[in-house]
Amino acid sequence: MSEQAQLLPGTLDLLILKAVSLGPLHGYGVLLRIEQITHGALLAEQGALYPALYRLEHQGLLEAEWGTSENNRRAKFYKLTASGRKRLREEMESWNRLAVAIGFALRAKPQEG
Amino acid sequence: MFTRLRSYFQAMRQRAKFEREMDDEVREHIEARAADLIGTGLTRAQALRKARIEFGGIESYQDECRESRQLHLVENTVQDVRGGLRLLRKSPGFTALAVLTLAIGIGANTAIFSIVDWIVLRPLSFNHPEQVSSLSYRQKGHYGNGFSYPNYDDIRDQTAGVFSDVASYDLGQDGLTVDGKTAPIFTAYVSGNFFRLTGINPFLGRFLLPQEGKVTGADPVIVISYNVWRNRFASDPSVIGKHVSVNGRDVIVVGVAPKDFRTIFAALETEAFLPMAMVTLEPNRAPDMMTNRQAEGGLIIARLRDGVSLAQAQAVLNVVSTRLVQAAPDVNDGVHVYVTHLGPQGPASNSSQNPIKTFAAIFLSLAFLVLVLACLNVANMLLVRGAARQREMAVRAALGAARGRLVRQLLVESMLLAVLGCLGGILLGAWASYAMGSINLRSSIPIFLDFHFDWRVFTYAFAMALATGFLAGIVPALRASRANVSEMLHQGDRAASGGRQRLRSALVAAQVAGSLVLLVIAGLFIRSLGNVRFSDLGFEGQHVLNLTMDPHEIGYSEVQGREFYRQLLERVQALPGIGSASIAATVPMGEIQLGDPIAVEGRPAESGQTKPSAGYNFVSPAYFDVMHIPLLRGRKFSDRDEQNSERVAIINESMAQTYWPNVDAIGRHFSLLEDPKHLIEIVGVVKNSKTGSIAEAPSPYYYAPIAQHYTPLTTLQVRALASPESITQETIQTIESLAPTMPVYNVQSMSGSLRGLNGFLLYEIGAGLTAGLGILGLVLATTGVYGVVSYAAAQRTREIGIRMALGARPAQVLNMVCRQGFTLIGMGVLVGLAAALALGRAVRSFLIGIGPNDPLTFVAVSAILLAIGVAACYVPALRAAKVDPVIALRHE
Repeated sequence: MSEQAQLLPGTLDLLILKAVSLGPLHGYGVLLRIEQITHGALLAEQGALYPALYRLEHQGLLEAEWGTSENNRRAKFYKLTASGRKRLREEMESWNRLAVAIGFALRAKPQEG
Repeated sequence: MFTRLRSYFQAMRQRAKFEREMDDEVREHIEARAADLIGTGLTRAQALRKARIEFGGIESYQDECRESRQLHLVENTVQDVRGGLRLLRKSPGFTALAVLTLAIGIGANTAIFSIVDWIVLRPLSFNHPEQVSSLSYRQKGHYGNGFSYPNYDDIRDQTAGVFSDVASYDLGQDGLTVDGKTAPIFTAYVSGNFFRLTGINPFLGRFLLPQEGKVTGADPVIVISYNVWRNRFASDPSVIGKHVSVNGRDVIVVGVAPKDFRTIFAALETEAFLPMAMVTLEPNRAPDMMTNRQAEGGLIIARLRDGVSLAQAQAVLNVVSTRLVQAAPDVNDGVHVYVTHLGPQGPASNSSQNPIKTFAAIFLSLAFLVLVLACLNVANMLLVRGAARQREMAVRAALGAARGRLVRQLLVESMLLAVLGCLGGILLGAWASYAMGSINLRSSIPIFLDFHFDWRVFTYAFAMALATGFLAGIVPALRASRANVSEMLHQGDRAASGGRQRLRSALVAAQVAGSLVLLVIAGLFIRSLGNVRFSDLGFEGQHVLNLTMDPHEIGYSEVQGREFYRQLLERVQALPGIGSASIAATVPMGEIQLGDPIAVEGRPAESGQTKPSAGYNFVSPAYFDVMHIPLLRGRKFSDRDEQNSERVAIINESMAQTYWPNVDAIGRHFSLLEDPKHLIEIVGVVKNSKTGSIAEAPSPYYYAPIAQHYTPLTTLQVRALASPESITQETIQTIESLAPTMPVYNVQSMSGSLRGLNGFLLYEIGAGLTAGLGILGLVLATTGVYGVVSYAAAQRTREIGIRMALGARPAQVLNMVCRQGFTLIGMGVLVGLAAALALGRAVRSFLIGIGPNDPLTFVAVSAILLAIGVAACYVPALRAAKVDPVIALRHE
């Protein structure tokens, strides 16, 4: 439990886009995929996933269609749209830039002289 | 953008599908999670429970999903409205009562507001009415709005920079003869630019032209009103060019004004417009009045130029005033001209306080108070309902519904009630104002009570409804949604808190207080009406018949008119069944009242002081016998007081005391300020009597022989030995035998004419309206008290049952239940009495013979309210006392 980190605001969207970019997923699948790709380090309340999915779908970044899940149940599958792919790329780049910058900042040592 | 819109519309269209799929998705998630959890060794039930906990608040997340589609506001509101309507349909009794209550409150307000709209708000028939202003002046403490024509010319010529048009108009009553039939009409003599100033187009033909009206007789034309065209000309489309006569003079109809053309007063229809210079042909007007600065002429309206403010116009008028004084220092000494906006109440009048506005404000406040009572009632009903639905609210809150959402849903319900109430209220209000508009004003002046509902009235009604819905709903909604979940779910319906009951009690006490205020005001008006009816008028009019006529209207000259009246009085007096007959220029409490500044002999007018003045009437010798006005000293008039004999007058006690205190006024002299050459000798003193209005205090008044002041428009007053109606026919026949075409109007008994606008009418309307509002308030307060006491009793059914099982007697239970109600009523009455004492001052000026804290009214009203309140408590208490303990304890 103590290993889990709180989600930064806005990062849930990025994680969903990333998870879905690896292949179409239904809601619970997205949750499992995030757990898997973060090695269980990040945890959100499960219900919070859905408003984010609906918002991304509403923005045209995801599209959804009903299909059949692995255990033969009707489920709604999300996949990335072209603009979703583009957004993911942009978000990843800006996240990386930020991460690099923060990394530099945190590694800085007191200067001598 | 497009995708969003499409997604939004899809969601809107497929709302049901959206909801179903969202539910499916959530269920699928929880099922899948539970399946995984079962894999870790949990039972299915345990797994489902854990999956739900992990998911979090389903309802709030679903709300967020809807919100992400921006379905939130519109959709939720639609949903709330649907839900609200369903709920209202489910409890038709509650709905009907709440809607009716609000309809009464809103209806009363709408009806009263339609009157206020008519007299205060609705603009006159001008293009850009906000630019139209009227002029008045102050001169040595004297206030006036009639300008001499030379002064009008100067003002018009010197203010062209700020006014685009300055027009003069003068009001008159004339006879219009169409095809040999004459009837009186209310006319305006207007300067040629008057119609250009209005900016309105004629309905038929043309209006007067700017160059018309400068020379008497040069432009024999007339513009008639729409109603005159319809009634006198049978809507003849070829009326233009037709010859008619005004006061016996030939004029040509050149135009018809549009329907509802109200230029000077909202309430008065000007029935015809004549060129300004023709006013010199009116009786009692100086023939040289167009050039004489001494002669009072017309009123002035002016249109501000675009972008010019009243203040800028006033600045110019300040300069013009100085020039007017320089131009004629003798007449215009001290004159200062003022400009004010011309509103629907008509031109600036000489009283700074407009009683109509005060009257309107009082009634609007009273109606508002009724609406507040209605609002409190509905709030109370909603509180009760809120208590009943607390469990539902608690459950929904537990499922994660946001509190704001619940509050909004409850508010939507009260708003729905308010909107329904508004519709009902508009219907009720329309009916009430129709009823008020049909009041017979007993007036020959064409007054139109036009309370039609325009957009202002509808806006007002709707705004009132929304405010009511919000105010009545907000507190119950906040309370209901604040429900403590665990408390509610554990304790059930018994958890209704004491705080709620306290709030409801306070609301009911406020209702009692409010209805007491309404009833006190109604009581004061009713007492005033009673006092007015039985007040000593100073004359006795019960057997007197009034008939008004004006020989000038059929073109009689002064000589012809005098001869006509001499013969008329002679013949009428000879009729059987008649005591005496006289003619007078005015009748008490009639539409015309005369009064002028006077100069009292031996009392030099000090500059800067208000000039002495007196009201007056011109009468024939038998007047005091006909009216039964007792002579105190001196003599009455006789036939020897004729045209060329010495001017004489009979004054009232008040005039004697005011201007000749400590000395006998008989034999003293005074003169009219306008006419200093003729000294008037006082030959008699009569008792004070009411002349202008019922409410007036005695003021200086004198009578002069009509033979010495020829007035064509008079009222023939005949004292009948039996009822006035018994001699009506013969009297009219006598007039017709002398002058077959003479229009005779206002034929009614003196007691009938006392019921007019200056008589009892306003008191009757006031008493009727306040009584109506008071009864509404009483009904609302009574239902409020009844509701609270019976609800409290119902809530204590279990407690009452236990008490009775333990041996309490019914009388004790009765006492216990009533005590609460009595406390409420007692507190309400005390607060109400204090408020009524404070508010009574506002109506002080309308009360006759009583003060605003008339003890009888206060005691009687409190007693009535207490009695009805006690009855409202007693009924539910009695029911509570009959409770069977066994049933009561099985209640839950």
